[in-house]
Amino acid sequence: MAAARSIWNGTLTFGSVAIPIKLFTATEARGLSFREVRESDGARIQHKRIGAESGEEVAFKEIEKAYDTGRGQVILTKEEIAAADGPRAKVVEIEHFVHGEEIDPVFYDKPYHLGARDGGDHGYRVLLAALEQSGRVGIGRFVLRQREQLVALRPLQGALGLQTMRFADELVDPDDLELPSLRKKPGDREVRMAGKLVAMLADEWKPEEHRDSYREAILEMIERKRTGKAPKAAPKAKQADDDLLAALEASLDAGGRSGSGEEPARRAAKTASADAKASAARKRATAAKAKSKPAAAKPSRKAKS
Amino acid sequence: MPRPLWTGSLSFGLVNVPVQLVSATRDRDVRFHQVRSGTGERIEMRRVVADSDDEVAWDEMARGWETEDGEIVVLTEDDFAGAAPERTRTVDIDLFVDLDEIDPIFFNHPYWLLPAGEGDGPSRAYRLLRDVMAKADQVAIGRIVMRAKEHLVAVREQHGLLSLTTMRFADEIRDPHDTGAIPEGEASEPTEEEVADAVALIEEMTADWEPERYQDSHRARLLGLIEEKRRSGEVRIPEPEPEPEPQRASKDLLAALEESLAKARGEKKVPGTRSPAKRGAVGSTGAKPRSRAKRS
Repeated sequence: MAAARSIWNGTLTFGSVAIPIKLFTATEARGLSFREVRESDGARIQHKRIGAESGEEVAFKEIEKAYDTGRGQVILTKEEIAAADGPRAKVVEIEHFVHGEEIDPVFYDKPYHLGARDGGDHGYRVLLAALEQSGRVGIGRFVLRQREQLVALRPLQGALGLQTMRFADELVDPDDLELPSLRKKPGDREVRMAGKLVAMLADEWKPEEHRDSYREAILEMIERKRTGKAPKAAPKAKQADDDLLAALEASLDAGGRSGSGEEPARRAAKTASADAKASAARKRATAAKAKSKPAAAKPSRKAKS
Repeated sequence: MPRPLWTGSLSFGLVNVPVQLVSATRDRDVRFHQVRSGTGERIEMRRVVADSDDEVAWDEMARGWETEDGEIVVLTEDDFAGAAPERTRTVDIDLFVDLDEIDPIFFNHPYWLLPAGEGDGPSRAYRLLRDVMAKADQVAIGRIVMRAKEHLVAVREQHGLLSLTTMRFADEIRDPHDTGAIPEGEASEPTEEEVADAVALIEEMTADWEPERYQDSHRARLLGLIEEKRRSGEVRIPEPEPEPEPQRASKDLLAALEESLAKARGEKKVPGTRSPAKRGAVGSTGAKPRSRAKRS
């Protein structure tokens, strides 16, 4: 396999150790992709840049970025905006290390894989081995795509993984949310029974058992629409339960079976067979009419975590 | 308060809890708008029929699926809503797992789940689920369909509320070794001494996780130079510093590690930094620093 293309090259430092690195996207979107069209006739849509006063189309090379300061508009060139990257834009500086379990998952954002550049192989492996041994997570910062990124550095699938982190002020404080009153307390029996239900549904986390099965439903819907068949009738919306106790009792009797009538334990197996059906449906659709998207057509790869 | 992005119900066994979803993040980026160079005229993005000037209003838009021979199947919001209606409005909880079993690479976007619906029934059901999840110290795994895409989700109790985080499917995560850039082989094999020094340096540089101490300094610099441009009409562009030189030879790497270690040990501890003694005590009693176990 040809080497993947990195999205960013720079140097990772911790203490005075410098390791030349490159950054790769660790995820790939596998959703279906659609075009924007006009509903009445399916005409394709194009986005045009139009001058608000003149009504003229403006070419991309004539576009500049402006910021409204409240005391007038300030126009900045690309070079001027890039100046905000600072003089150390090419360096990921690990400022310190933390115990990974202290970090709430809410901070984690986009994951990347790190590779080594020329001269970085040895330092890369020393740092990887030391992180694996210590179980710590490195915290640092760098600038990517004109945005400062707080990052967590840790071992991931036998390599160095870097995940961007949200800044604390980007998170919504629950105190700022308007909450309806929650003063009605559930009864002791309800709490006990719900606890039993949780225990009944407790299982191990096996990420590869969960696959996107909704894609299949969308592909089937497209096929129905294309061939002019009637859409499926929508079932009634679910109602809140007035009798919590009765619903809990019935759930326990059903062995934790969910409202849609599927037994959770079998859901994974069912999902896997649905996925096989999806790929068959996709093949059919591809052969018949539909254009297969490269992402959807790729064989699935499992994460080794 | 942010507008709900989704309303529906959380289904746990045969218990349905009406909920609404609001984002748990907010955008703090400095936003620019586009103008025409020279005139400063504001630019608007308009949707037009391709190769024409026919403007298309937002409510005239739909999504199109392109078949292999170029035919477009027009899909409306109703088509999407009808594709799997039982899944579009319900988050079915499939199982409960320990939070620390889930590698953070799976976590995508966080939301708050708030109770919806009138009356005592819904709020009691919400409280029941919240309380029972807090007690079990587990997260519920389910699925949600948003914007015509299915996401795996983790629902858990946080700060007295239920939160929902979308998660990536395993097949959306790449293998790092496919990059061809992960070093291997004997030539770059680390020695025990190097790793021991690096571990010692990591321990010296270990601090508590205090998210509030990190501020976005890029935002501050950007706002600063916008102000500079507004006042003086120009921006001083700093010379970039050269990238630090890597330590190519093993002896240079060891020297750098030892120099850093000596420096870290010599520096006065900043508040919040754990002393080695305190850290040792935590390890020796086997007590977990938080309620959650260590991730591997």
